[in-house]
Amino acid sequence: MISFYRIIKFALQDIGRNLGLSLMTVLILVLMLLSVNLLWSVKIIADKGAELLKNQINFSLYLKSNVTDKQLNDLTSYIKSFPEVTDLTTLKPPAVLSAFEKRNALRPDMLEALKELDENPFGPALVVKTQEPEQYKEILLALNVPEYESIIESKSFEGHESALERLQTITNRVESAGLGLSVFFMLISFLIIFNTIRVAIYTQRVEINIKRLVGANNWFIRGPYMLEALLFTLASLLISGGIIFAAFNKLDPYLNVAFTDGFSLTNYFSSHILYLATIEGGAVLLLTIMSSSLAMQKHLKT
Amino acid sequence: MINLQDVSKVYSHTSVGLSEVNLTIEAGEFVSIVGQSGAGKTTLVRLLIAEERPTRGKVEIGGWDISKISSDNIPYFRRQIGVIFQDFKLLPKKTVFENVAFALEVAGTPQSRIRSVVPQVLDVVGLSGKQDRFPHQLSGGEQQRVVIARSLVHLPKIIVADEPTGNLDTINTEEIIQILKKINEFGTTVVLVSHNREVINRLRRRVITIHEGKIVGDEKHGKYVI
Repeated sequence: MISFYRIIKFALQDIGRNLGLSLMTVLILVLMLLSVNLLWSVKIIADKGAELLKNQINFSLYLKSNVTDKQLNDLTSYIKSFPEVTDLTTLKPPAVLSAFEKRNALRPDMLEALKELDENPFGPALVVKTQEPEQYKEILLALNVPEYESIIESKSFEGHESALERLQTITNRVESAGLGLSVFFMLISFLIIFNTIRVAIYTQRVEINIKRLVGANNWFIRGPYMLEALLFTLASLLISGGIIFAAFNKLDPYLNVAFTDGFSLTNYFSSHILYLATIEGGAVLLLTIMSSSLAMQKHLKT
Repeated sequence: MINLQDVSKVYSHTSVGLSEVNLTIEAGEFVSIVGQSGAGKTTLVRLLIAEERPTRGKVEIGGWDISKISSDNIPYFRRQIGVIFQDFKLLPKKTVFENVAFALEVAGTPQSRIRSVVPQVLDVVGLSGKQDRFPHQLSGGEQQRVVIARSLVHLPKIIVADEPTGNLDTINTEEIIQILKKINEFGTTVVLVSHNREVINRLRRRVITIHEGKIVGDEKHGKYVI
């Protein structure tokens, strides 16, 4: 117990009396944590953007004008029976006509042609959304049966297919690049932390040797450095957390323009704070303790 | 107290630190070890403080067999001897008080005892009132006194002083030697390694002369003869 108290005392003394080195170590750790969190934020925003695009994609089935209510209900029930379908909206003929007029507001020839007709030429329409864009193909394939083909006038999805494939490719590439970048950052972080701690220990090699000669055992020498690693980790987590919160607060209004569903990086960060603090703190602590153990190893040989 | 039997320390084919050294030092003796640079004095000191192990032979100090001592036991052994170095080896970021107290803290001595013993020892070496200074705020002689206080504070049975006056002027040298004599008078065995002819000759104590790794002289009231 006395030894533990002394290890705490020596660690605090060491931090205070080597203030420059302590601050530099914390600064390096903060920069490393900020880099990791920046990468993490970019990934979150990219994922959110891809999700938003996916959500905006749907396909419409335009039905013939003579379709009966029973046929419409049968088709609706059939489509809803697919687990991939997340949303199905039925548009009545007046709504389809109104949407057509809006879409072609800048094309007077189309509107003129429509006026030539005495009645609404459109039948009802179904707007379908699935969990993943690639699932549309399955639904469309399932509709290739005579019973439904006979009442479907047209499908609006065909035009979106290539755009969807491009989106999928971009999303996959962003994910692969993110993974590669994360591994690269982890490697750089490991090297930076290892070198920072190694330099810090190297500057104290004479002291370590003196402590050995006076009769300190390895744990009495190692203990304060381990504790310092823990305190540096906590300090860097707190500082980087504060900077991140402040930065996200500034960034959120800009994100709200792009993401209209109220997405906020600050809220996302707050709701994942425990998870992130555990993962990042654990990793930094493990790295600092490992680095200091390795760096001290050769100075502790008797 | 200290017993070396056929001790050799070989670093390489061309570098032999000690060669078949036999030596016995009794409890309470004041022994000077002299010799030219490279004679093997430092190797002997390193063996005495378990910084090195002999290549051959047996080194026994205060009941510890240094030739076989385990790494885990070395700290316990070192807590029973006091070591004084030429280059002081003080912890630069600790005050005088903390440097001396450190020798007790590593051994788990209670804080109350540290608070009472350290000022007494600092008083013995003439450093009362300077306990809050850092090593760089002291003169060479004062730093060496802190080292002596640190080596004394845990009441060791043996003190090994490796060129303790090497970096000091005549007045400080004399003061340090007087302190070492006083320590010896209280029953502590003192092993003084030095190449200061005047100091050795004035002491008139046992002198062991080392030359090229071998003991070439051992006189009860000897002089520096090389």
